[in-house]
Order: sequence, then C-alpha cells, then structure tokens
Amino acid sequence: MKKIIFTLLIFLVSTVIAEDKKEVASIVKEAYQACYYPGDDAQRKARMVIVDGQGNKQLRQFNIFKKDKEDGGDQDFLVVFEKPSDVKNTVLLVNKHVASDDDRWLYLPGLDLDKRIAASDKRTSFVGSNYFYEDISGRSLQLDNFVLIGENDNSYKVKATPKDPTLVEFEFYEMLINKNTMLPMRMEYYADGSLYRKAEILEVKTVEGYPTVFKSKITDLRTNGYTLVQFRKPNYNIGLDEKLFTERSLRNPPKNLFK
Amino acid sequence: MKDKLFQLAVSKPKIIYWSLIAVTLICAAMMINIKIDTDPENMLPDTQHERVFHNEIKQKFQLHDAIVVGVVSEEESGIYNLGTLNAIAQLSQQIAKIEGVITVDLMSLQTVDNITQQNDAIRFEWMMRQAPESLLEANQIKQNIERLPLFRNTLVSDDYKAAAIYVPIKNKDQSYRIASEIEAHIENIETSNKFYITGLPVAEDTFGFEMFVQMGISAPLAAVMIFILLFVFFRNLKFIAAPMIIAMATVIIVMGMMIGLGFTVHIMSSMIAIFLMPIAVVDSVHIMSEFADHYKKNSDKQRVIKQVVNNLYKPMLFTSLTSAIGFASLMLTPIPPVQIFGAFVAFGILLAFFLTIIFIPAYITSLKETSLESLQAVATKSKRLETWLPLLGRFSFKQSNLLLAAFLLLAIGSVWGIAKIQINDNPTRWFKADHKIRIADKVLNEHFAGTYDAYLVLEKDNSNIIKDFREILTSLNIETQEDNSVSLGTEINEAIFAIEDKLFESDDSSKLELALEKLDQLKSKLATFQQPTNLNLIENLQTALIDTGLVGKTNSLADAVKTVNRELLSGDDKDYLIPNSQSGIAQTLLQYQSSHRPHDLWHLTTQDYSSSVIWLQMKSGDNQDMSKIVEAMNVYLESNPLPAGISAKWAGKTYLNKVWQDEMVYGMLTSLLSAFAVVFIMMAVLFRSIWLGLVAMLPLTITITAIYGLIGWLGKDYDMPIAVLSALTLGLSVDFAIHFVQRTRDLYRETNDINQTFELMFKEPATAISRNAIVIAVGFTPLLIAPLMPYVTVGFFLATIMAVSALVTLVLLPIALKALRSKL
Repeated sequence: MKKIIFTLLIFLVSTVIAEDKKEVASIVKEAYQACYYPGDDAQRKARMVIVDGQGNKQLRQFNIFKKDKEDGGDQDFLVVFEKPSDVKNTVLLVNKHVASDDDRWLYLPGLDLDKRIAASDKRTSFVGSNYFYEDISGRSLQLDNFVLIGENDNSYKVKATPKDPTLVEFEFYEMLINKNTMLPMRMEYYADGSLYRKAEILEVKTVEGYPTVFKSKITDLRTNGYTLVQFRKPNYNIGLDEKLFTERSLRNPPKNLFK
Repeated sequence: MKDKLFQLAVSKPKIIYWSLIAVTLICAAMMINIKIDTDPENMLPDTQHERVFHNEIKQKFQLHDAIVVGVVSEEESGIYNLGTLNAIAQLSQQIAKIEGVITVDLMSLQTVDNITQQNDAIRFEWMMRQAPESLLEANQIKQNIERLPLFRNTLVSDDYKAAAIYVPIKNKDQSYRIASEIEAHIENIETSNKFYITGLPVAEDTFGFEMFVQMGISAPLAAVMIFILLFVFFRNLKFIAAPMIIAMATVIIVMGMMIGLGFTVHIMSSMIAIFLMPIAVVDSVHIMSEFADHYKKNSDKQRVIKQVVNNLYKPMLFTSLTSAIGFASLMLTPIPPVQIFGAFVAFGILLAFFLTIIFIPAYITSLKETSLESLQAVATKSKRLETWLPLLGRFSFKQSNLLLAAFLLLAIGSVWGIAKIQINDNPTRWFKADHKIRIADKVLNEHFAGTYDAYLVLEKDNSNIIKDFREILTSLNIETQEDNSVSLGTEINEAIFAIEDKLFESDDSSKLELALEKLDQLKSKLATFQQPTNLNLIENLQTALIDTGLVGKTNSLADAVKTVNRELLSGDDKDYLIPNSQSGIAQTLLQYQSSHRPHDLWHLTTQDYSSSVIWLQMKSGDNQDMSKIVEAMNVYLESNPLPAGISAKWAGKTYLNKVWQDEMVYGMLTSLLSAFAVVFIMMAVLFRSIWLGLVAMLPLTITITAIYGLIGWLGKDYDMPIAVLSALTLGLSVDFAIHFVQRTRDLYRETNDINQTFELMFKEPATAISRNAIVIAVGFTPLLIAPLMPYVTVGFFLATIMAVSALVTLVLLPIALKALRSKL
C-alpha cells in the first residue's frame, strides 16, 4: 500500500514538474512577446526623468521606432533624441539578433560622427538612466533559467536565475506577469541576498488591440535614485521602411512621423 | 563672604565634606554621556563660511568620506600579477558586501569601467570583473589603466607597485568596524602582498581611541607622579591627602560639568585633566606648608589656619586669577575646541582656589590631635634646595653683569629664532612616526599621486538665468517658489516637465511651445561646463595646479570628456581633446553615461553643469603646502583672470586644515597679547607700581620668547599644541614672579636691608617656588609617554617652560629688584 502511494506521489510530482517546465517557458515567451514584439513595427515618443538619491532631475526625450523581422526573433530599434537640445538628433540604432551579438550604432551630430558600439555586456546604463540597454531591447530568454514560483488569479510569479552569474550583477530576479496582458508588471532584482533593483510598469492602456506600456519606472534601492519613463503617441503597424534601420539613415533620422 | 565660608568650614566641616562628595559624585555621573570628537573639521565653528561651503560641496558632489586600502606588491611586474589581481578582485567583492559601505561608489580595479575602442567600435566594459587567468589579460588591464587619466596613479600607482581600493562609507562612526572587517578579509586572502589601511575616517576613529587611552592612563599617571613627588617632599600621608583630594575633586567636577553641559571631548579638552591636576595641587601645598610651619609655634589650630588663610589669600587669589586669565585668553582664539579648553581650565583653576580655601580649613579642623602632631614634623624645608638655592642667589648677584648680557643675547637670539618659525600642521602627524596610520600614509604617498584631497570648485553666477527663468514662468502664470533644496537645473527641468504636461491637455499650444524652447535654451546657457571655452579653462587651471609642484595629480570633467572623445574618434592620443562645440561635449558626456558607472560623472560636475570641481591629490597634508598652492593659484588667477561670472573657491579637508591653522596663529597672537596686557595691569595694581608690574612680567616674557625662539631654531613646526602653549606659559609662570616679588617686598619692609632680604628670600620662599615648579613640571611628564604627538609636545614644552621660568625668576628677579629697591 505504502509503495503504491509513494509511486503515485512520485508520478504526481513529476507531472507537476513537467507541466511546470512547459508552462513557465511559454509564460516567459509570451511575456517577452508582449513586451517587445507587439505589432510588426511600432513607434512612440518617450520622456525620461532621471532622479538621483538627492532629488536632482535630468530630462531626456526621444522617439523610439522598431521593426520586427520575426516575432520573438531578430528586430531593429532606432532611438532618436529630441531633448535636451544639446543632444538633439543623436541616434542609437540596434540590429538585434537572437543567434548572435547585436549590432549597435551611434550617431553624434555634434561631432558629426557615426560610430559602432562594440558588442559587450548590455548591462551598462542607457544614457545615464537606471535603465540598462538590455531593458530597452530585451534580455534574451536564453540567458536565464526560469521557475514558476507562484500563481494567483491575476498573475504568475516567475523566478529567473542567470545561467552564467559572472556576466550579470544580480543573483536572480523575480517577475510578476499579468495574466491578462502578459506584461511583466514588476521585476525585482536581488544581489547578495537582498532586493536592490526594481522595475515596474505603472500604467498600461490598450492601443490598436495591443496592451501598451504608458508609464514605467526603475528604482535603484541602494541609492534611492530612479528613472521614470512616460510614453506617448504609440502607433503600431505603420509600415516603417527597413532602410530606416541601417547605418546609412543615422544621419537622416525620420521626421514628422508623429501626428 | 570669605569669613562666613571660613566659619562654616571650621565649625561644620562635615557639611563641607558631604557637599564636596555630593557635587563630585553628581559630576562624575554626568561623565557617562561622554562624546568623543575627533573630527579636525571641528577646529572651525560649524558656521564658519569655509566649512559651510566645504560641506555644501561634499553634499553637492557626493564626496563621501572614504577608507583607503592600499595593496603593495614587491614583484617585478608590480601589482599586475595574477596573485595580486586576484587578491584585489576578491577583496573588492567582499568589501562591497560590508554593511555601511556605499557600494555604488566603491572604487577599485574590480568595480570601475574601462572605456576603449575595439575594431573601430567604442566599448564600455568592466575593467576587471573577475580576476584574470593569464598574464596576457593582466597585461591588458595594465595597458587599459595607462590610458585612463582618471584612474592612472589613482587606482594603480605609476610605478605599478601599488593599487588602491577607495571605500566610501555612509557614516564615519562606523569606520573602525568597517576597517576591522576589511582587515579580517585581508587575513583570509592568501597573498604575499602588503596591505595598508588608512583614510581620514580611520585616522579619526583611531585617534579617538587613543585619546581615551591617553585620558585613562596619562591623567591617573600624573596623579601618581604628583603623589610620589609630594611624598618625597613631605613624607606625610595626611599632609598629602589634602592636595590630592582637591586635585581629584577639581578634575572630576570640571570634566563632569563639561560633559554634562553637552560639550564633546576633543583633543584639546582631553588634556584638561592633566593640566588641572598639578595646578590644583599647588595652592593647597602652600597652605599646608604654612600651616605646618606655624603650627609648630602655636597649637591653636583654628587660629593658625585662619591666620594662614588670611596671609595667603591675596597671593593665592592673584596667582589663580592670572593663571585663569592666561587660559581664559584662549577664548579669544576663534577655534571652538581651544575655547572650550581655555574656559574649562580657567574655571577649574578658580574652582581649585575656592576648594582650597574652604576645604583645607575643614580638613585641618577635623584632623585628630595625633595627626596634627605628625604634621608638625613635616619637613617644610628642604635641605638640599636650601643649600643649593642660596648659592644660586649669590651667584646671580656676583655675576649680574654677565647674566644680564647673557639674557640680552638670549633675547636677541630668540627673536631671531621666532622670525624663523614655520607655521605648519598636519593632523596625520598627530600620530607618532611608527604608528600604522603614519606608515600607511607614508607608503601610499611614496607610490601614488597623493592621498590628501582638496577641491578647487568652479561656479557660475546664475542670477541672470534665474531672472529669465522666473520671467518665463510668470508670463505663463505659473506660480513658482524659490526652492533652495534643489539645483536650478532641476527646477528648470521640473518646469519643463510641468509645461509639457500642460501642452498635452491644452489647445493653445504656441505660447507653451515657445516657453519650452526658451527654457531649453536657458538649460544650455546654464550648462557652463559643457562649453568648450570653460573646459579649456579647467584644463589650464589643472596645468597651473601641477606647475605648483605640490600637486601630484588633478582630476576633472575635462579629463573625462577628453578620454571619451578620444575613444569616439581615432582612439589615438591626437584625439585626446575637448570637442569644439557645446553639443559635441554634451554628446560625448551622454556616451560617458552609457557606462556601468554613469554616476561617477556627478563627482566632477553638477548635473546641470553649472558647477564643476577639480579634484587635487597631494602627497602632503601640511598646511604650509596647501597654503603655497592657494597662494600660487591666487597669483596665477591674478594674471589669468577667470571669465566674468565664474568663481573659483577651495574645499576639501586639507584646505580646511589650512583655514583653521591660519585662524590659530592670529587667534593665539590676540590671546597672548590681551592676556599679557590684562596680567600686566593686574600686576601693576597688585604691587601698586608700574615698575614692579614690569619686573613681574620679566620672567614669563623671557621664557615665552626663549621657548618660541628655541622652536624656531629647532625647526619644529608651530602647530596646534605649540600655539596653545604661549597663553599657558603666561598664566603659569607669572605665579612664580608674583610670589617672589610679594615676598621680597614683605621681607624688605621687615628688614629694611636688601642683602638680608635676599638671604632670606633664597631660603624658604625660593624653596617653595622651586617645589611648585618641580611639581607642575613633573606633573606634565606622563604626557611624554602618550601615544599621540600633541600630548608629547605639550608635555615636553610645559615641563621645559616650568623649569626655565622658575630659573629665570630666581636668577633675574633678584638683580632687577635690587636695582629697583626704592620701589619696593
């Protein structure tokens, strides 16, 4: 009798684990999709406030354009700065590759210079903010191991542990993924056993059928500094030209695409 | 009043006993709240504008106090060997985990970014996230550091022998614990390297600890020394008990009151006990000696003690007052710890006087007959002194011309020596030369550009921009409040943010858009240090600073801009330049912020770029060197004036030390001169003769001149402890003169014969003076074994001063008084 119960238990547990694995992989995949791949292409205006622990504020305004080559696969980003006026028309181009290193380009009008950015670790600051490059273009799902650690009616809780911990500054992070939108509403990063960094989505509206982030925030709990980003005028499937996302177009960023 | 107290003392001695015990215990209880203050910054009042500015800058640029860990490798390759790099990487990772460390600002090879070019691509990467596994990698790190002026000779010394880890900490009070934890980690690392831990917070904490040691050991030791000395002189415990009780009670009451009133114990006030101990003893020794003397002739103890107190009241009052004035004059020096020291020692001297005249009568009244009889046997005379001193007297009369000539020569030589005095101090030198902090300081400064910091702060006057800003807001009917808690750049950004929000809701947008445009222009205008001319200005100032020869290295925003610009362009030295447009610089700086540590920029400039600092690293923390740098820069700016509206001001601990040193010198001069004047007037009043007043001032004048002359000739720096000495000498050594002149006058009036007068003078009075000088001098000698230099200096010079001034009194005053006998 004991043996039967035991075997049954083993069977049950292993099924749960098996289901779990499948489940978590698809959850994070869907979340990744919802975050970075809504629409074939998209554009939006972003306003960023960087606030340090002392309350000093810096502003950045830029327009983001993206075009997917394949859902969940390669895609291109173009970030064109509008403000402060001293950095107006500074452009960052990312040709994101899933199978290899991204190609990143930079155009600095003040120096009349286009420059490639070397493929290196992507956890460097995005223009001085609390966002990393990786937060803008998406952290590859291949880099972490995921475990579903909780679930309720509204959300999944997923724990991600880096496969190579030497490449990142965190030990693990936890995501709270909304079941409706599949957007990761909260991401909490832990290092040395304590929470030190927090990414939150603060406002979501549905635009052209896509749940769209209107406001998000990343806080560095060590310094109490944070960066708030607000998005405006999002549009999807506008038919952006592929040529927009090449090195040649760096000097002539798209204008008047926003109504 | 005095008589009433005396009556109370002799009729109800128990009341005196119990109230003294009660007051002493209450004051002793208050000592529990002791707060040690070791911050050299507190040498300046917290309202002093240089100090206020320094702290503003510290806050504005997030310049934290830091512990410095130095690693020195004697290997051929210096620190660029796998073992040492591994040790640095390990240690850095462990330090980052220590509670109280500001991890984001931790600076070491392991935590900083390398900016470089690879195949024509700009690259930000960790310099050494993990310890390298091959010498090739180690060598690559070496080459990377060489190319980064902000790290070269700061993180790794130019001789490759040493590397540094800068550990910023949240709270200075934690530095001892953090330093200990770092030491524990070092213990666990297997390495052949030598590690050194230093930095101001560690020095301060260690200093505080050793101050406690000093107070716990030197002060009781002084008590023991005085006790032994008194026993040697008088060989009667009952006799010695009285002065010892008074000394103890005085010290406890004064320290207790000081702590109870909320004053912190600083380097100066920690010396109060050891100063009061010998001074407090002196008066009661006088009374007890006189009593023992007179009691032999008359055994009515009440009458005898009354007579003794009456006889000694005036000279004791005057000597106490003059000593108190000497110390109180320190309150004219605008340095709070010195003022507190002066005030409480002055109070202690007066308290000791008061206790002497009420406690001693009570004490004697309540002694048993047998004890009193034993007092009669006390040797108030010293055979040795009384055979030796008259010889001295005879000698001084015989050789008076020679002596006068010698003193004149001494005076001239001393004045010459004073002219050679070097005013200089450096709190690190408050530790002895073999102290581990001094050793770490020495070693690290041998290798690096310097561990002493100062900042040259460049600021733009923004009043025009503020005016324009307010006008724009007013034109939009936006209410504004001047908010001093945030920078102008932040205020403008907040306004832009608010207007954009309005724009979003508003239909009539043209006016708002125009305002936004204007605000954006204001921001560019505000960003003074994003403008090429002003970065060139910083470059020039850096060159001028290096040209002084006293600055090891400077770090600035210009260095950061040039480095990124070089890597954006060819990567070759020819592009180590400042871009020639404001937008070029702004975009270069935007790239700097794409590293792992964008916040490092805000240690060099404010976020609105309206203010920028040049960080100086100096090998010397001497005030003198800092003064020379400031002076040289003044001269430079005289011939190369700053552009209109831009100001350059100094901050940093080394600079603050220079400020209080300057204040100290002039403050001490004021203290000395005013105390001199007051004491002279008192002397003239006491003796009712200007001439005798002048004579009484003679010994201390000669002593002070001689001591400072000696300091000048020895080349010893005139530092804080030396500066304090002048006023002390004045207060203490005038005592001898008062007693000498007063007794000479009394005896001369009795005998009417000058020769007989001096014959008598060189017996009992000279003995008393000599004994007092010896008691005070010996009382200070425990300071000689103190672990901290200021105590040693004070101990040595005070002992010397006591000896010299007693000798001058005994040798010179007879000659002067003989010449002036008509005035007696």
